[in-house]
Amino acid sequence: MMNAEAMHQEPPPPPDRAAAVETFRYDNRIVRAFAIATVVWGVVGMSAGLTLALQLFYPAANLDWPMVTFGRLRPVHTNAVVFAFVGNGMFMGIYYSLQRLCKARLFSDKLSWFHFWGWNAIIVAAAITLPLGFTTSKEYAELEWPIKIAIGVVWVAFTINLLGTIIKRREKHIYVSIWFYIATALTVAVLHIVNGLEVPVSLWKGYSIYAGVQDALVQWWHGHNAVAFFLTTPYLGLMYYFLPKAANRPIFSYRLSIIHFWALIFIYIWAGPHHLLYTALPDWAQSLGMVFSIMLVAPSWGGMLNGLLTLRGAWDKVQRDPVLKFMVGAVTAYGMATLEGPALAIKTVNSLSHYTDWTIAHVHTAALGWNGLLTFSVLYWLFPRLYRVKLWSVKLANYHFWLALLAMAFYVVPMYIAGITEGKMWSKFSGDGFLQYPNFLQIVQQIIPFYQLRAVGGSLYILGVWLMAYNLWRTARAGQFAAEEEVQAASFRSQPAARLEPAFSHRWLESKPILLTGLALIAVLIGGLIEIIPMIVIKENVPTISSVKPYTALELLGRDIYIREGCLGCHSQMIRPFRHETERYGEYSKAGEFVYDHPFLWGSKRIGPDLQRIGGKYPDAWHYNHLDDPRSTSPGSIMPRFPWLLTQTLDTAPLPARIGALRRVGVPYPPGYEGTAPGELNQQTATIAAHLAAGSVKAPPDREILAVIAYLQRLGTDIKSAPLPTAGGAAGN
Amino acid sequence: MIQWIDKLGGLEAFGIFSLCLFVAVFTASMVLAFCLKKPFLKNMGALPLEDEPAETESPKSHPL
Repeated sequence: MMNAEAMHQEPPPPPDRAAAVETFRYDNRIVRAFAIATVVWGVVGMSAGLTLALQLFYPAANLDWPMVTFGRLRPVHTNAVVFAFVGNGMFMGIYYSLQRLCKARLFSDKLSWFHFWGWNAIIVAAAITLPLGFTTSKEYAELEWPIKIAIGVVWVAFTINLLGTIIKRREKHIYVSIWFYIATALTVAVLHIVNGLEVPVSLWKGYSIYAGVQDALVQWWHGHNAVAFFLTTPYLGLMYYFLPKAANRPIFSYRLSIIHFWALIFIYIWAGPHHLLYTALPDWAQSLGMVFSIMLVAPSWGGMLNGLLTLRGAWDKVQRDPVLKFMVGAVTAYGMATLEGPALAIKTVNSLSHYTDWTIAHVHTAALGWNGLLTFSVLYWLFPRLYRVKLWSVKLANYHFWLALLAMAFYVVPMYIAGITEGKMWSKFSGDGFLQYPNFLQIVQQIIPFYQLRAVGGSLYILGVWLMAYNLWRTARAGQFAAEEEVQAASFRSQPAARLEPAFSHRWLESKPILLTGLALIAVLIGGLIEIIPMIVIKENVPTISSVKPYTALELLGRDIYIREGCLGCHSQMIRPFRHETERYGEYSKAGEFVYDHPFLWGSKRIGPDLQRIGGKYPDAWHYNHLDDPRSTSPGSIMPRFPWLLTQTLDTAPLPARIGALRRVGVPYPPGYEGTAPGELNQQTATIAAHLAAGSVKAPPDREILAVIAYLQRLGTDIKSAPLPTAGGAAGN
Repeated sequence: MIQWIDKLGGLEAFGIFSLCLFVAVFTASMVLAFCLKKPFLKNMGALPLEDEPAETESPKSHPL
């Protein structure tokens, strides 16, 4: 039994192994492959974003083509920039630095290539299925279950390759970058599995096993930590490796990096509920999310300062070197975003900012600044080394840097103004006590000039990426690719003298990868377990309401079309308990209203109005005309047209499977409902067709639009007739 | 176990419990970090700088 005072001494190695220098090769091919994929997917993902930006002030830009309408293209953009651009960039940097920090070739070349082709095949699958409308609707987790399983398999391959390389390392102590890589591999796996649990209905359709409030908590625990452990921790690992390399000086404080790591991974996992402030999520979970989000500023700024202070005495280099310029820009953007994030998590600020373009400004400060600029810096640093040649044009790289900064200003500043304008106009009351701007479109019209400026910013940013691609291509052409880099190093296992190390010190821990991995896993699991398990098993969290019933067969199919078209990209279904929201939309949302919602559809942005109480607000014919051409009923609307809903026949064949799947996850459809559902569906379509005829609209009863109308007319109507809760105390939060 | 959690009340205390947990983790990491000796910190900080390959002769950067 050892204690803190005990000294751990390793057995001396056999004499014939003493200080044996080994020759081995680093694999640069896999690094280059991920680097090229990073650039290609960067262009694709950002171009999708620019197309979306255009559609927001010129809706006809989608050419009425279903696959590129805003709702379907938005997840293509987010998935492409997050998982394709940043994902490939992350693997590029990890595979380059991991080999050098471990002084070992990657664990398995086959796993490396399986990882590369598997990951990029998944991205191609996403680029095909999302425009076709195959989506779970959960942000950053939209891909349907077969692709989710593929992601799991590829991620396991990456994790084995990562841990295998660490285990066969020649350097005894594990550098801080690798801790961040380990935390990334473990946490993304946990998030992906827990949030991805769904019951398959068909090859491209599944229902989340969680419902309503619980689904919302699990999703935003995942969504927030996708930001944390996919966009942040791996890039912090890259910062800790590439910034000292580029500046040619060690990190400012290795001690600070230890505190940064443990505090960050422990706190981050708790902060997810700040995406659900003032929603139907129980108060205790909201408070927990808010407090931990505010605390997050400390480790985040510790890391940022550690990065920037590494450059002390080397700022003259920043003036000359575009790589360092990009890095300084990236770390500064990280600091800004991680100060703003906690500020936005304060309930008072969030009450103004939530659902507005302020959030868009915030995420793009981080995405364009932190992830974008750091990726560019690593690419500019790597290519000359991979090709054994100087960068083709330093001047062009400098132009790219200033162009990227200008682009960010054009993007972010208008979005801040738009966000604050939206928040203030939504909540403005006249002197008479009425909403100053009761028509949502009045507010949208004020925002359009800022949307136009945002498109200018996006265009400039993409132009910069093209300049970089050209520069890197010319660099590659001028040099000769070093596919294998021969190096020599002695394994720490063959070092003659074992050093005395105090047990349970951090130094000792840094030489124990399995223990380090285990502790990191515990640190990230604690927050998730404490938030999610009580939310799922304690009934008082979700008081039920007796009048809330499962969707009818037609409404269910309509809801699935609503999901397919990505309507929640623009419309929330969550009325917060503010006077201006209840005046505009109706009674605030209660937790018990969503108990049959697999998945929940609360949304996170209001480009259009909230739809939680849209049921019964307009006649069926209004919805028909509005979906056919939004400008016909709402002049000035920027909503896309959905003419194909009027012509496509409603597919009722999957109905029995969908009812069965929902029953398995707890929706109380009566036994045999699969048999009676078609008759009920026909009856409901006939009723809606009759309503449409009364509104001078002739529509065949078998079209998809009738299902969508049925769903929209159902929304929020359950509690109008029965306000009293039946279980678990008072209704809602 | 699940039945016990099911009946658990006083969820408001979760915040306090969580904060205490964080203070414990943060304190532990601080203690561990400040117990490290300077030579070790210096060696670890210099790890990324060890293997920079020698630059080969190559054409000068393009004037563009």
